[in-house]
Amino acid sequence: MKRALIIALREVKTYLQDKGDLAFSLLLPVATFALIYGAFGGQGLFHGTAYIVNEDTNGVYAKQLIENIEAEDSLDVELLFLADAERKLERSDINMVFLIPADFTDKLRTGQPAELTFMQRGNGGQDGQIVASIIRGIVSELNQEFQVRGQVEQALVGKDVSPQKITVTTWQFLERERKYPLIGVKEVVVGNKPNTVNEFLPGIMTMYVLFAISIGAAAIVEERRLGILERLLTTRLTAGELFFGKFLASVSRGFVQTFILLALSYAVFQIFTPLSFLTCLLISFIFAMAGSAIGLIIASVARTQDAATWIGVFVTMSMTMLGGTFFAIQKGTILYTLSKISVNGYANDALKKIISEGGTIADVWLELVVMAGVFVVGLVLSRLLFKAIPQGK
Amino acid sequence: MAEAFLVAKDLHKSFNDHKAVNGVSFTIGKNEIFGLLGPNGAGKTTTIRMLSTVLEPDVGEVTISGFSTRQQPDKVRSIIGVCPQELALYEELTALDNLTFFGRLVGLNSRETRAQSMANLALMELEQRAKGKVSKFSGGMKRRVNLAIALMGHPKLLFLDEPTVGIDPQSRNKIFETIQGLRTNGMTVLYTTHYMEEADRLCDRVAIMDGGKIVAIDTPRALKAKLGDPDKTTLEDVFLKLTGRSLRD
Repeated sequence: MKRALIIALREVKTYLQDKGDLAFSLLLPVATFALIYGAFGGQGLFHGTAYIVNEDTNGVYAKQLIENIEAEDSLDVELLFLADAERKLERSDINMVFLIPADFTDKLRTGQPAELTFMQRGNGGQDGQIVASIIRGIVSELNQEFQVRGQVEQALVGKDVSPQKITVTTWQFLERERKYPLIGVKEVVVGNKPNTVNEFLPGIMTMYVLFAISIGAAAIVEERRLGILERLLTTRLTAGELFFGKFLASVSRGFVQTFILLALSYAVFQIFTPLSFLTCLLISFIFAMAGSAIGLIIASVARTQDAATWIGVFVTMSMTMLGGTFFAIQKGTILYTLSKISVNGYANDALKKIISEGGTIADVWLELVVMAGVFVVGLVLSRLLFKAIPQGK
Repeated sequence: MAEAFLVAKDLHKSFNDHKAVNGVSFTIGKNEIFGLLGPNGAGKTTTIRMLSTVLEPDVGEVTISGFSTRQQPDKVRSIIGVCPQELALYEELTALDNLTFFGRLVGLNSRETRAQSMANLALMELEQRAKGKVSKFSGGMKRRVNLAIALMGHPKLLFLDEPTVGIDPQSRNKIFETIQGLRTNGMTVLYTTHYMEEADRLCDRVAIMDGGKIVAIDTPRALKAKLGDPDKTTLEDVFLKLTGRSLRD
């Protein structure tokens, strides 16, 4: 046992001393997380672009409509010429264009109904449909504004009230209505509000830990090729101690990496209580054990370092994708059934339950048991397969 | 020959259908430098692996200082040191860290490990580079670290598997001097090499292996004398005569 610890301590010491390895193993998860955080705007809310062709270039109402769309937080506006818009639609560069006709302002001024057009490719795409829906809401609001003003003007016909005063008063009235609506809507969030941190942090962390463990497996294969494992067996170290030492080294490395990432998350995002932090450390430790057992199976079956690396990449990416790291897997699908073989999936679920749902260790016992099972089966299998030298011990 | 320190009796080892070692027997006397020579694939490495407890023979027995490699591998490992042909060390560590790591694994405590590490690095004239990363060392320096590691724990029997491959004459000479010095201090050495002049210069006796068997065993001079005038014949002449000139790649 003491000699197995010496093996593990050397590897952890090397990991912590190797600034390049340490930086990569910590910076890459942070960089990946930053990319995802940037891609999803940090909020997890919809954000789209409204492509608008404005043929009513000098019209005040067209201008007002575009300003109202621009004021919408979830939308950016990109103005296009009709020919450009048609070409882009044709090439599927965009799926939906909002057309304001040349007579838009004139018709509204003379009290006639004006017509706006959505030009779309197919059904307009999911994003296009959401953008269209938001624009419909803005148009509807504007419509109400015109109707109210029209009715007020009609009601005041023959009275000594200037058109400017009618416009200003109507605008003030509608503005007050927008601020203090008679029918309000409030959001009630059940559990912690889902956000990018809670959704993606566990998956990215477990992905990189499994990557690190796979790379460790490739390093074992290289040590075998270089004759280092054989040399170790000419010391007092037994084959069993060597195996256990490598296992401990892999677990320690994975756990140290997870610990640092969780501690960083604790400090930066403040998503933990002390108890939930400790629970997540326990989940990470059991995941590191299960991952290390898988890593040792890779180290046992691979004949070259390249083979170990590729097997490691395949296993890690499969476990990551099936673990729902980047997208949710819907129940009842074949993918959902396949996802049950992903050890990352259990770790991700357990970490999310603690981080997002405020769960306790009692809520994640099933995930812990499955990961512990993977660890035991993997360890037994890898011990049966592991050889320090080909055709030897 | 002095009292037998290593006794190998009728060793056999097969991998699938290939007989790598086929009835090898020899003894090495205490304080002797014994050369094990042979072309590629002759069975030298498999034999050393069996002697150093890494592989178990299918048939046959090995005793080192009276300890059986089969029944008492721990005892055997406590008195042997192995310097493999490959640079079996951690290049990302310093020379001192490499020696310290292996020192702990051969059962030395921290103080002994430190003392022996520094002594062995000094023996290899590497004490100034003790804290240098091995990856930055020249080939000759790496070979010397490789040998220094094998000396951790003061082994009584040292296995040297082609320790001078690919190094400059100065480093090679340093390794020769070290081996001769170790023998003077009572160490027994089993030495394999493809350089016949090295074996001639260093070894008290040599065994020439081919096809998994020992085809000749004697002092270099006696082997040369069997072929002609020992002062004019080289060990390479003997080697080629016994193992043939066909390529063994």
